[in-house]
Amino acid sequence: MSRAVTFPALRRWRFRHLRTRLAVQYGMLFAVCLLAVALVGQLVIWGQARDAVRAELRTSGSVYDRIWAMRARALGDSASVLTRDFGFRSAVASGDRPTIESALGSLRARADVPQAFFVDPTGRVFGAGPADVRRAVASVPTTLAQGRTDAVITTKTGVFRLIVAPVLAPDDIGWVIFALPLDLREMAALQHLSSIPLTATILARNAQGSWRGVSGAITPEPALDAFVATAIGGRGEPGLLSLPGGDALALAKPLSGPAGKPVAILLLSYPWAAAMAGYRTMQIGVALAGILGLLLVLLGSRRLANGIARPIAALDAAARALEEGNRTELLVESDDEVGRLAASFNLMSAGIVEREHRITHLAFHDTLTGLPNRTYFCQQLESDLPRSLKRGERTTLLCLDLDGFKGINDSLGHPIGDALLRCMGDTLSRLANDAVVARLGGDEFAIILDDRGDSDRPRALAQAILDEMRTPITVAGHQIATGVSIGIAISPNDGADSDALLKNADLALYRAKQDGRGVFRFFEPALDAAARKRRMLELDLREAIQGGQFRLNFQPIFDLKRDRIGGFEALLRWEHPTRGNVPPIEFISVAEETGLIIAIGDWVMQEACRQATAWPDHVRIAVNVSPLQFRNSGFPNVIFQALSHSGLAPNRLEIEITESVFLDGETTVVTLLHKLRAMGIRIALDDFGTGYSSLSYLRSFPFDKIKIDKSFVNAVAEDKSAAAIVRAIVDLATALHMETTAEGVEDRDQLSELRGQGCSSIQGYLFSRPIEGELVEAMIGSAMSAAA
Amino acid sequence: MPAEAIAATVSVDVRGSDGKPLAGAVIALDTPRKPAGPIKFDPPYEMAQQNIAFVPHVLIVPVGATVTFPNRDKVRHHVYSFSKPRKFDLKLYGKDETRSVVFDKPGVVALGCNIHDAMNGYVVVVETPYAVQTDANGHATITGVPAGGATIRVWHPSIRAPDNMLVQSATIAPTGFATTYTIRGR
Repeated sequence: MSRAVTFPALRRWRFRHLRTRLAVQYGMLFAVCLLAVALVGQLVIWGQARDAVRAELRTSGSVYDRIWAMRARALGDSASVLTRDFGFRSAVASGDRPTIESALGSLRARADVPQAFFVDPTGRVFGAGPADVRRAVASVPTTLAQGRTDAVITTKTGVFRLIVAPVLAPDDIGWVIFALPLDLREMAALQHLSSIPLTATILARNAQGSWRGVSGAITPEPALDAFVATAIGGRGEPGLLSLPGGDALALAKPLSGPAGKPVAILLLSYPWAAAMAGYRTMQIGVALAGILGLLLVLLGSRRLANGIARPIAALDAAARALEEGNRTELLVESDDEVGRLAASFNLMSAGIVEREHRITHLAFHDTLTGLPNRTYFCQQLESDLPRSLKRGERTTLLCLDLDGFKGINDSLGHPIGDALLRCMGDTLSRLANDAVVARLGGDEFAIILDDRGDSDRPRALAQAILDEMRTPITVAGHQIATGVSIGIAISPNDGADSDALLKNADLALYRAKQDGRGVFRFFEPALDAAARKRRMLELDLREAIQGGQFRLNFQPIFDLKRDRIGGFEALLRWEHPTRGNVPPIEFISVAEETGLIIAIGDWVMQEACRQATAWPDHVRIAVNVSPLQFRNSGFPNVIFQALSHSGLAPNRLEIEITESVFLDGETTVVTLLHKLRAMGIRIALDDFGTGYSSLSYLRSFPFDKIKIDKSFVNAVAEDKSAAAIVRAIVDLATALHMETTAEGVEDRDQLSELRGQGCSSIQGYLFSRPIEGELVEAMIGSAMSAAA
Repeated sequence: MPAEAIAATVSVDVRGSDGKPLAGAVIALDTPRKPAGPIKFDPPYEMAQQNIAFVPHVLIVPVGATVTFPNRDKVRHHVYSFSKPRKFDLKLYGKDETRSVVFDKPGVVALGCNIHDAMNGYVVVVETPYAVQTDANGHATITGVPAGGATIRVWHPSIRAPDNMLVQSATIAPTGFATTYTIRGR
């Protein structure tokens, strides 16, 4: 949602719909405009009303002033009729009270004033009236400012206006005073003079000096005092005043007492509500017009907002649908931005869907063969197994592995290897078109075969695959003869869950590989047992390395030419605390598979060299080196360390390797052999005659010695062909300046035959079984003596 | 020389409430020792009506004096007095007619005309020879006053006091006495 909202308050609002937001924003905007107009209108009306009332008040004020003056003059005239009357003056001069009071009585009636008094210079008051008024009147003539004829007094009885007329004879000999109560009647009379219904009120000070209404309607308060103070200060302008009946525009007219100071106030007021009443219709009209306008704007903006928002809402819905994986095509209705947005959205969503499909495919398929990958395969297996288990059906899992694929990859290159894998994938898909075929990685494939009621199907499929793969495949001009090994496991017997089933199928595959490749094997519980045993053995081996359970035995190699012991072959012995003596045949394969052979080989090398240093200088030590150990890049360093630690002369160390070291490629091996030879170490070729026994090896590297396998030696005395082979080997070695050692010599016939054929040295039970290290020196000594 | 024989001069200045010299104020001194013989002021004791006014405006006469009221206007006048010392009423009389009134009590007698309200005048009846009006400068000088205690009376219509009169005791030194009165107006 955009944050650039016109009103800050709207930022807090979240609208569910764009059209609501637009409608509300337009509505509010218009409402604000209307409010502003209404406010200005109200102010104008207010000002107008105030001015009108002010003008009226001012007029009324001045009218009142005139009336006030006129009244004073009229009453003054009335009074002067009496004051100038000679008889009255005569009565006054003679202090004739009854005459004076009767004259006052007739004057009261004539002038229509409620009270008339006569005051003589000594302050005596004549005439009837309330006591306090009389008291107040007595002092007026002496306190009245020069030139004034009227004054206002406040008494307990009320506020009175006094009109003073002197009795001259010809100087003042007394004063006739009219007292007009400024009461409600008088105020009512005053109110009638105005064209608007003004309220006239008299204010007087209370005991505390604050102004209050004489009639009690207006209570004293500071605002009133301030208002009156302003008026007394001379600024007799109408102003707003808060009165008990509500706010009113008021004009205060100070009424002066005898001494000239204001003692009372005439307050002309006009209720504000009354002033505004005339404008009520106008206000209602404006309000109604505003509400009508607002409704129209709301309707209009809603219509407009709908027009804008509907396509956007459609986009919104489509985007949500896309988020949930459903694609909808939007209808492009217009050529404007929204229309273009819809078109872009269509393109974009199509792209997203397509990419999603591609990503999903990539995630679950192997790019090379296009077959499902391991992830897909595992999911499939995990979902298939419980289902078939519930139905009581079997699921068959076939694990396949190409035989010798690494060699093909290395010798022919990866493109050929990849082509081969594709070819294999095609073949499998074709043959197992009723099953799920997956490539698990490398040259591993797997097939999930559901139960189709044909219990022979797994076997038949495996056989069909083997048959198919037996024929060489032509890839990029290369005829490749490859085989495949297959392991088969069937649920639920061979594993109820995917992990167990896969593991067991792998075990079966392993067995198939062990059994010479190019075959299939079903899983058997024994396989599992064997695997368990191997794992146990592996653990024990690790412990043996840590715990020093290994030791070396030595079998003498007897030098036929010199008739003495020429050296010893170091042989590994494992004395397990509970297993007892474990023969190497049982653990070497496991050590090789697990890589432990490296550590073991290192130990053998160190130990052999260490012990050999104690022997006479002509006695060599021969150490077997496994191909794995030999291939290890740290191997030359191991030898160097063993020699330097022990101090053994390099030419007394003889390492025995088998042809199998050459399987990884001749060049690197030969380089390494030369390197070792350069250090002065002797190198013997072990088990010659078994395996390939390629003569090219003999040509590529000048071995120091060839060890003739005991299978030939065993038969050399009886079998002529064996004897011939031995002779051939010895002759070949002699020609190549290599020594020969015959292994496994068990009797004297064999010895004499071998000696006759020119064999350099022998090794075997005839001379000695392998012996403990501490016996070696003794044996060397006795052999010497025996020979001697 | 006995103190009584010394005749001092009393000099009085009268100022109005506005501070300006007040003309026409009457200064009268009462001394314990009255001079022998009747008191006499410059005659005639006459209060004429001339141009709708009393002439002189203020007339000082001794007690027992007879004052004539000649009418020198063409119109008629009705001179009256409601003052206590001497109330009288001279009904309408015409041109060149004279009435006379005896003033036998001391005091100020305000005169009016019942026809012409604007006319007023005063006859000041005194029992002392030491009475004089202030001149245009508000100044009055009385000579031959015996030194010693005296009561000074100052009268003027504008004085706001009983009978429009200020009364003050003073000791007249043989070398003379001078004072200034400022009338407190209102």
